Amino acid sequence: MKRLALFSLIALTAVALSACGARSTVISWPGLAADANNAYFANGSQVHAVRLSDGTQSWIYPDKVSTHAYISNPVIAPDGRLLVGSAGTDNSITSLDPATGKENWAAPLVADSHWIASPLVVGDTLYAANNNGSLYAADLATGQIKWTLKLGNSLWSAPTSNGKLIFVASLDHMLYAVDPATQAVAWKVDLGGSSLGAATVSADGSTVYAGSFGKKVAAIDAATGAVRWNAAAADWVWGAPAQDGDTLYAADISGRVYSLGTTHGKNAWPDVRPDGPITASPLMLPDGVLIATESGSIFAYDRTGVESWNLSIGGQIYTTPVATGDLILIAPMKADFQLAAVNSTTHSIVWKFPLK
Amino acid sequence: MTNMKQARNVDPAALQGMTSGMFKFVGVGVLLALIVWRWNDFIAIFVNIMLWTYHGLSHIPFIGASFGLAIILFTILTRVVTWPLASQQMKSTQAMQEMQNDKEWQDIQKKYAKDREKLAQEQMRIYKERGISPFSSCLPMLIQLPLWFAIIQALYRMLPTSPLSLLQLARSIYTWPEKFFPGLSATSLIPINSHFLWMDLSRPEYTLILGFSIPLLVILVGVTSYFQMKLTTPVSTNPNDQSAQMSRTMSVTMPLMYIFMASSFTSGFALYLLTSNLLYIAQYAMMGKVNWSNLLPGGSQKTPPIRKR
Repeated sequence: MKRLALFSLIALTAVALSACGARSTVISWPGLAADANNAYFANGSQVHAVRLSDGTQSWIYPDKVSTHAYISNPVIAPDGRLLVGSAGTDNSITSLDPATGKENWAAPLVADSHWIASPLVVGDTLYAANNNGSLYAADLATGQIKWTLKLGNSLWSAPTSNGKLIFVASLDHMLYAVDPATQAVAWKVDLGGSSLGAATVSADGSTVYAGSFGKKVAAIDAATGAVRWNAAAADWVWGAPAQDGDTLYAADISGRVYSLGTTHGKNAWPDVRPDGPITASPLMLPDGVLIATESGSIFAYDRTGVESWNLSIGGQIYTTPVATGDLILIAPMKADFQLAAVNSTTHSIVWKFPLK
Repeated sequence: MTNMKQARNVDPAALQGMTSGMFKFVGVGVLLALIVWRWNDFIAIFVNIMLWTYHGLSHIPFIGASFGLAIILFTILTRVVTWPLASQQMKSTQAMQEMQNDKEWQDIQKKYAKDREKLAQEQMRIYKERGISPFSSCLPMLIQLPLWFAIIQALYRMLPTSPLSLLQLARSIYTWPEKFFPGLSATSLIPINSHFLWMDLSRPEYTLILGFSIPLLVILVGVTSYFQMKLTTPVSTNPNDQSAQMSRTMSVTMPLMYIFMASSFTSGFALYLLTSNLLYIAQYAMMGKVNWSNLLPGGSQKTPPIRKR
């Protein structure tokens, strides 16, 4: 009897220890994208398509909860298909029909580690940066790998392009420019810290802007990799900067928002602070910029840095909001809903998903 | 009325020993409550010590930033810090085992086999005479359990697998040391190189041998756990010794538990368990208490020398 009790105690301890530390899936904040009809958000082990008209669920992928973990932003490819990457046990990227959620490819693009960054589509090729430090180029129609290139440490930042080069920031503090024609690194530059937000490419493709944990935003010549300027931030810059004309908006984890001149990097907003730390990228609105905070609020500022309006959403917001039509979509964590649609004119919540 | 009478019969000295043990228990209870209350801060202590070790290693030529070595050094540090506790536990366990093998105690057990109350009184008397505290053998275990929980979580926190876990790590890193050592800033420390030898310490380990994926580290953890239990379990000659029966059960179940944990968690934690097992055996060996004959077939039947006090 005592042996049984002892064995039970040991088994219980083992299970308790497992529950304490083991995680079969990767946990992070949701990924979010939208087209004219649906919002697509990757949350936990499934990707949901939610109708923008009424906030009801259109489809869910995969059908059953598994050890997959979808945390990267889904991407709507130029051909209208949806690309989703998983960071759980299968580490796959697959193409879905946005209308039905059915798979398009015969087999997904599989790597040996997590897909945390969302893929980029240029022409008929998708470029995807993996946690294993490699950049994958694959055929958009089939998902077949064309080539891979090992860059460095984990790649958590989504690739971007100016049409000639692919830009990928890495946790190893480097921003890499890869030439798809030669399948080699054209240049790399030290950002002074890890970078998670995608590098932002200027409208003319001549400059790349990247924020980093080096507490700065850098402007880099896209052709040569020469640093044009560095703008200091108070703390880590997580999200990708957003460009609007000759202004670059960025925010940091200390909760400060910066309005930087694209030519010189000087901050025009000396002390704009919403109500909490910021990991999401600024979202450009027709009349200004929207900032989402960890405190669960969104703040809209005009171009002079004056607050236009704010709204408390609830939970903690880490995911960059998405604007579509007259809606702003917010995907908070630790809220009693997973997705909220805010009317950009009335500044009120239109619907929440799941519906109560 | 009967209970009151029995209470008056209890030896005051034995009662004093019990009270002292109870105070220790209450003290440990308060300490554990504090740890639970400030759990995140408790984990942060381990995160930062390991990060400092990791950073220190990065300055050593030919070694560089090695998280695996940082785990090994951290385990050694943990063993050194908890040495007095472990030592106390070992001595207490040994003393209790010696008592089980002692003829006087065996005679008492026979004499009062049907009088459990008297047997308990005699047991307390012998405890007092020999300076044995029954609490001393389980208190260190109580303290080590939250240590394990914290180390598992610290290892997970230090090898983030998602932006959210990276944010948690960033917030765990102390900012004050970077004023003196800029290399200790979170900016400089991240990312942490999780590769050590053939392993990625942020994942469970599998080694490809002859086309088969073998969890080599898990097997090593299991083998060293078995050796640890065998080598450090004193031999009992007392047929009525229930603790010896429990020890035999433990020598099978504990390695199984270690294997279960090592395979459930990251290889970083398995490396911690492996190092910890080897150090435990080494500590026992340094105290001259390793029972090497236990590894031999039938070795556990041999009677070890009993030290008389």
